[in-house]
Amino acid sequence: MSQKTGVYIDTGYGIGDALDIEALSKVATKEFKAALCRADSYWTDPEKLAIIRNDIAEEGLTAVLIAGPSSRVYQKEFTFEGVITERVNLREHVVWCHPSNDEDTQMLAEDYMRMTLTKIQKYEDRPAFLDPKEKSILVIGGGYTGLTAALEAANAGYQVYLVEKENQLGGWATKFAKVFTGKPPYDQLVDSPINEKIQAVQANKNIKTFLGKRVYSISGAPGMFDVVIRPDGEWNEHLVKTQNEWLAAKKAKEGKGEEPEAAKTSEEEIAVPEVFVDEVDFEHDNVAVGAVILAAGWRPENPQKVEHLGYGKYADVITSVQLEELALSGKIKRPSDGKEVNSIAFLECIGDDIEHPWLYSSAVGSLVALKQAHYLRMTNPEGRAYIFYDNMRAPGQYEKFYRSMQDDPGVFLSKGIPVSVTNGSSTLSLEVRDTLLGEKLKVAVDLVVLSTGMIPATKDAAIVNLKYRQGPFLPENPYGFNDSHFICFPYETQRTGIYTAGCVRGPMDFLSCETDATGAALKAIQCAELVSQGKAVHPRAGDESFPQIFTQRCTQCKRCTEECPFGAYDEKPDGTPLPNPSRCRRCAICMGSCPERIISFRDHSVDMIGSMVKSIDVPDEYAEKPRVVCFICENDAFPAIDMAGINRLQYSSFVRFIPLRCLGNINMVWIADSLSKGIDGIMLIGCKYGDDYQCHFVKGSELAQYRMGKISETLQRLVLESERIRVHQLAIDEYDQIPKLIDDFMETLSGFDPNPYKGF
Amino acid sequence: MAKEFVAEPDLQFTKDLVAAGATDLKKCYQCATCSVACRIAPDNNPYPRKEMIWGQWGLRDRLMNDPDVWLCHQCNDCSTQCPRGANPGDVLKAIRKMIVQENSRPAFLGKLVGEKSMFVLAIGLPIILVGLLLYISGWSFPEGPVTYSAHHLTPKKDGFIYTPALQIMFTGALAFAVISLIMSLKAYWKNLNDNNPMPAGRQPKAFVPSLVEALSEILPHSTFKECEANNIRYSSHLLAFWGMIGLAVTTAIVAFNVDILGILPPSLNGPGTVPIKILGNVSAVAFIIGLSIMLLRRLTVPDQAGGSSYFDWFFIYTILGTGVTGLLTELFRWVGLIDGTYIVYTIHLIFVMALLLYLPFSKFAHLGYRTVAIAWSKSVGRNLKTSIQPNYVPAASTESAAE
Repeated sequence: MSQKTGVYIDTGYGIGDALDIEALSKVATKEFKAALCRADSYWTDPEKLAIIRNDIAEEGLTAVLIAGPSSRVYQKEFTFEGVITERVNLREHVVWCHPSNDEDTQMLAEDYMRMTLTKIQKYEDRPAFLDPKEKSILVIGGGYTGLTAALEAANAGYQVYLVEKENQLGGWATKFAKVFTGKPPYDQLVDSPINEKIQAVQANKNIKTFLGKRVYSISGAPGMFDVVIRPDGEWNEHLVKTQNEWLAAKKAKEGKGEEPEAAKTSEEEIAVPEVFVDEVDFEHDNVAVGAVILAAGWRPENPQKVEHLGYGKYADVITSVQLEELALSGKIKRPSDGKEVNSIAFLECIGDDIEHPWLYSSAVGSLVALKQAHYLRMTNPEGRAYIFYDNMRAPGQYEKFYRSMQDDPGVFLSKGIPVSVTNGSSTLSLEVRDTLLGEKLKVAVDLVVLSTGMIPATKDAAIVNLKYRQGPFLPENPYGFNDSHFICFPYETQRTGIYTAGCVRGPMDFLSCETDATGAALKAIQCAELVSQGKAVHPRAGDESFPQIFTQRCTQCKRCTEECPFGAYDEKPDGTPLPNPSRCRRCAICMGSCPERIISFRDHSVDMIGSMVKSIDVPDEYAEKPRVVCFICENDAFPAIDMAGINRLQYSSFVRFIPLRCLGNINMVWIADSLSKGIDGIMLIGCKYGDDYQCHFVKGSELAQYRMGKISETLQRLVLESERIRVHQLAIDEYDQIPKLIDDFMETLSGFDPNPYKGF
Repeated sequence: MAKEFVAEPDLQFTKDLVAAGATDLKKCYQCATCSVACRIAPDNNPYPRKEMIWGQWGLRDRLMNDPDVWLCHQCNDCSTQCPRGANPGDVLKAIRKMIVQENSRPAFLGKLVGEKSMFVLAIGLPIILVGLLLYISGWSFPEGPVTYSAHHLTPKKDGFIYTPALQIMFTGALAFAVISLIMSLKAYWKNLNDNNPMPAGRQPKAFVPSLVEALSEILPHSTFKECEANNIRYSSHLLAFWGMIGLAVTTAIVAFNVDILGILPPSLNGPGTVPIKILGNVSAVAFIIGLSIMLLRRLTVPDQAGGSSYFDWFFIYTILGTGVTGLLTELFRWVGLIDGTYIVYTIHLIFVMALLLYLPFSKFAHLGYRTVAIAWSKSVGRNLKTSIQPNYVPAASTESAAE
């Protein structure tokens, strides 16, 4: 589609001194026939912005190109309603990191001008996806977290459906004796405020509660979820069993090393219908919701692995959950003989060789031990509480509670690994090694309390029971909790519109659950609102573009449905993908995965990037000016390169950066395009991947690496060296490595002849 | 046979320790900054980290038989560097107080001196004894200028104090204190030996050479010099220490001359020109300066000097009071304030009585305990540079040497 483009070149920031602005303007006006081109300094000045607005109105511009500072800055200033706005980063990517008034720097600036003008020409006109309209919120779990989330969303004016599997609300909070205050001086405990919360929920007109019921299935997408709620019953057991079989089969298949890209369409294929063998008629409720909050909570880990500590053998060796029940009635009595307890040993760590210690040494374990020591000391002034820990963790203000317990003369703290529990005369004898007393010691105690691991409810079953192509589960991290980007987006899941909160997301205490629930409620509301406006949610919040598939050319290879990190694609009966635009996070990984190149966004497409590559002016092989195209992740690598510019780091001016939404969005055809254009080398810079991945889209960088592993075929066909392509991982703060990365690559390329396809 | 350590925390002991001045004991989280900061702790099993957790855990036996608390010179490098404000220096000091009280013979005097609630009784006892002395001497100031009391054999009153009564009373108090202290120290030495067995195949050094080695360290205050946070105490304690010795020597010589040989000092009412007078006056001035510095620092910079408990104040005011009233008596005599001289002298006698009587029970006892503990450490070879496994830590679950 032809655009009427106005080009505005900023000559401030040293740009005007470093470049031949007139030559640059000519690229726009002569080569690309831009409607107008103005050069002036500091276009962020309100008076100058008015000139641009005037041009848009008077000249009828449909696109504006600002050539000046990085697109990461002055975004608000350079926002013009109704026109395409693109930016050329002349400041950070050109004049700040390359020599002034240099032929190569000028060529670089001109290439960026060509590439961006080409990009503008490739924009398509498509309306936003406005189907999702539902804004009500489903909360799964009526415990402390679920109740809080329901109240928060309801008080903000949203209809809430609250589903609780038990016949009463409250969850664990009704079974625990005391909770932390969360108020200064942070050294006291109070009764659990759960009853007030239950009453508030019951009294709230915006909340509809389903007791004794479970979510049978969720289908659809954010803003248009269809939820089936069914009374608890035998069906659940059956469903969980099928789900787990499905999951085991899927894992077995992946474990066999089958390529994730090449899903088979064989008989064994794992598909949704296997999980939901629908009975046709059953009692159920149907609700439509815009977003879901999963607050299904946790269960205590079964301490069967700790036989050496006498669990199961002695009645007075109990878990911390059992102690809460004992403490509910005031004075703590021994389960064996009902005598009042005078001494308790709390074991936070059950042995350094026990599998999955992570669940045991969470901050919650430390806090619970401190809290329960307080129970004993409050009810028995002569009571002695021993706490043996591996790591004492009291985050934030809990430090103050820890300190107050430490000050208590009846609380004895030491690092230590329990060795055994044996029966003393009238008490238990606990042996502990590696203590802070520098030796193995024994203590005689009335009660031994084992810290309880908190297993997320999603460990046993999907709970959300998604009718998605990628299965009913939320993807989980290596620790068994829901996976999300733990630094940047803690509330997100890999299923858009579904937000986890509370102990299903990680071990937490009541106060943290409350905060967490509030956060999740806010995220759910944001999601419902954004999708109703046709916009993407985090991390590309506000993006109105969405993927469209030219289905006629689809070969049903299913790569897009398999590779989407967010499970956005379902499948039509004919095997072609069924997009759910409101589930989409707009990472465009599917665009990179499609071998037919039929997935496109209105402002981002295979053709667009390919054309940008082709618009680069490649000097002939005698000019000794090699050209490198560098595809970069716009989330980590782009800001890092900006920072390199800000720090005036210098690197080769033969490199042209092309930012991508995610490196996983790389399409193999761009590599072929580049090489056949005569580009000498190609670099890909993505973010870090692995267990502690930094990818905004979970696995984009990893996928890019994987795809590049298969590029040698293309290179062989073109008779080119495989070293001409290099993939890097770069964290956002590693800007100082950029010159070395690029110079090393240029060094490698200098060992090869120029690309023989130059000039074709 | 394997011997196992069964921890039996004594709640009351921890509370007592806190009451004795280890106010922040429970704040310790065992980072061991203190043991690293300490310049004089031995390389192996350095104090005060281990003492901190023993205190928190109420391990009374461990602490009561721990010689390390006396190796500490309270320089407070540990307390100033403690990230948690647990003041290990104060904790060790409180433990020392409890050791003194624990080994007191008779025990009730330990309580009398150590407990704030007994203050009236504690000062009442020397006041009553000195009052008795005044009663025996006739309750009146003599006429004329101040002279040596000559009426030691005749009942005729020709001086202020009836000398035989004074001799009996003060010599008796000193004898009581010395005997009591020796008994206490013997008990303590035995405890150290019994509870900190030497490993098999090693023999402790004999007492006398150990004591000589200990004294060669104590007399020049060589350990004191290592301290950083409170290093001025090296000078002040050195002054007070040698001043004290000088005064003791002076007193001994004068007593020998007067009481045994019957020779009165040649000059009574003028600034001393004879050697014995010079020694006495110089010692007294050094003594008072040293103690005053310590007192002022405790009052003005408790962060560096360490917290001070009743036990500390009682001792420091007693000993400083002794010195100040002694010197004032001399000054008043010189300027001719006759009544003043007698009054200050009476107060001086009370202070001296308190100092002597409470020697084994007040902080003054540290002169004995510290010497003994350092000697014990020398005898078992526990010193700064040793690489030998320390032997006083009770054997844990491994084989014990005793069995």
